[in-house]
Amino acid sequence: MNKDLLQQENLPVEDVTVEDSAFEAPEVVMLEKADDSIEKNVRLMSPWRMVVRRFFRSKLSVIGLVMLVSLFLFCWVGPLFYTKWDSSIPDNTPSLVYTTVEVEFEDGGEKQTMITVTEKLNPESLLKVPSKDHVLGTDGDGRDILIRLMDGGQISLTISFLAVFVITLLGVIFGGIAGYFGGAVDNVIMRICDILMCLPGFPILLIVGSLIDSWGIPLQYKIYFLMGFLTLISWSGTARLVRGQILSLREQEYMVAAEAMGYSTARKIFKHLIPNVLPQLIVSMTLSLGSMILYEASLSYLGMGAPPEYAAWGTMINAATNADILQNYFNVWGPPGICIIIAVLGFNFVGDGLRDALDPKGRR
Amino acid sequence: MLKYILKRLGLAILILLGVSLIIYVLVRCMPVNFVVTKVTSLPNAIFDEEALKGMLVKYGLEDNSFLGILKGYFKWLGNLLIFDFGDSFVYGSPVIEVIKSHMGVSFMVALIATVFEFLIAIPLGITAATHQYSIRDYVVTVLVMIGISLPSFFFAQILKYVFSTELGWLPTAGGEDATQSTTGIAAVFSQFKFYVLPILTVVILSIGGRMRMTRTEMLEVMNSDYIRTARAKGLGEGKVIYKHAFRNTLIPLVTSLAGLLPSLFSGAIITEQIFNLPGIGNKAFAALTKGDIPFIMGYNMFLAMLSVLGVLLADLMYAVVDPRVKLTD
Repeated sequence: MNKDLLQQENLPVEDVTVEDSAFEAPEVVMLEKADDSIEKNVRLMSPWRMVVRRFFRSKLSVIGLVMLVSLFLFCWVGPLFYTKWDSSIPDNTPSLVYTTVEVEFEDGGEKQTMITVTEKLNPESLLKVPSKDHVLGTDGDGRDILIRLMDGGQISLTISFLAVFVITLLGVIFGGIAGYFGGAVDNVIMRICDILMCLPGFPILLIVGSLIDSWGIPLQYKIYFLMGFLTLISWSGTARLVRGQILSLREQEYMVAAEAMGYSTARKIFKHLIPNVLPQLIVSMTLSLGSMILYEASLSYLGMGAPPEYAAWGTMINAATNADILQNYFNVWGPPGICIIIAVLGFNFVGDGLRDALDPKGRR
Repeated sequence: MLKYILKRLGLAILILLGVSLIIYVLVRCMPVNFVVTKVTSLPNAIFDEEALKGMLVKYGLEDNSFLGILKGYFKWLGNLLIFDFGDSFVYGSPVIEVIKSHMGVSFMVALIATVFEFLIAIPLGITAATHQYSIRDYVVTVLVMIGISLPSFFFAQILKYVFSTELGWLPTAGGEDATQSTTGIAAVFSQFKFYVLPILTVVILSIGGRMRMTRTEMLEVMNSDYIRTARAKGLGEGKVIYKHAFRNTLIPLVTSLAGLLPSLFSGAIITEQIFNLPGIGNKAFAALTKGDIPFIMGYNMFLAMLSVLGVLLADLMYAVVDPRVKLTD
């Protein structure tokens, strides 16, 4: 309740919902109950409800949310309905093409015919244009593009979520420790952050890529290792954010009170400090989801990610390096690119909306 | 001031040591067999047993014990101090020479792109800020957000598709046109058409960040008291915006200019690779995929040095541009 009242002060005027009945009520009643009139006339909103309200007031964030929800439905619910094809198995169902070669030869005066039959994957199912059978056509190996798009989305989105989760976890732990304890601990952690910040991201990942090759790790797990390494070197931004926030929060009166109450360190950090860093953290997480998707896609595009059988969006666009596919088959490399744009744009819109909504100084 | 600079320099050296240690340890995690296989699969490979061993000794790769690694690291570090990055396996010449000879192309692309980026992004940011929450603000914001969200490789392929294969205006790839032997201005022009699409890619992708930065700064300044004073004394809107508000948004913009230093020289790996420009990013990628260890390490250290320098310059620039900032501690 106390927290609610505190938030009330920051409330923009239009956020105060005055119940209509209050205006119609006789004046006498108002005077008599002057004490609790605020309680009665103003609907109290929890901070989170205010955030939600402000978030949905912005058109862009709603558009972003719709984009993300539809993308998630497409990737996870889509495969339940579109079961005709499998993302890693080429479409060789229609038929095999038999090439027969007849060779006639004479064997002891008797004329004989030898027929050699070679069977080949139906070449017509490679690079098919969109049709009723294959909604978005097939790729260079005869795999259905739509189902690959869905499965690839699952891979790309899952990896990005995992990566952002780990980055945030590491950032909160190290930033929290640095900010709370200060002194030498802070100094060491911040110097490590400085070093990580100056580490060239992409070229280092390429080294790690060949490192993974040299260890003989199966190709389909390579992207997980790469992204895992990426998280190890990219928590410094989050750590700095958390540290800065905690440094300023540490000086606040309520922390002095918590100190006076004799709370344990863990309780002070996790119950009193971290929740107050949460708004900024959520914003930075949402925005970095977009950049992680781009990272994953770029790595896959350069051939460092999932092998072609395991579709990821970046891997699918990689097909465009073939000049013929680039020129004639937009249906092969266009859709995954559009999916990436939708995902990144969605996360950026939502992140921006959240930033405005969570900013207590915001007036909209 | 001097004390501050010295302290920052010390920190920079510490950072470089850390980065070099990480890079070295990473590369040393590769099994030696793998390195040997990679080296022998190169076109100008060394098959001679003796020569191979010599190479391993030269790069300190022969001893895989902890002490050996430590020794190798310090040897490599010592060579770094005299700017000896070793010889590239793939290109067969000193790493620093390879970097030097291909940096020009990358630098040109990045420089032109940065100029265009500022020229386009700053006016956009100003209009978006002065017309906050209007249609204009929304349109500009959405457009630049799309720009930020574009994956560089996808956008580059689209540009190639539209301008090269469909319209046929520009070449798809390559930085040198061997079929033409023109000289003078014609040569420059024929060269330039190879760079239009890569530059366009870089500009579109980077406008967003700069525009949003300008917009945020501008909004902050527009809310300050001296802008109200300027309006109250009856100044025209143009004068208020460009003479009073915009000048103060220049501080972070100029500071960020120093931070751009690494990106000017480092080359864009993906863009250069797609358009097959003879820039350093492209060369680095080719070397990396072929397991050219000296080049990998040299290139990474080069990038780290650039970013350390960029951070240092940005901090100093901040004090130079904004007289309110005092460099203490």
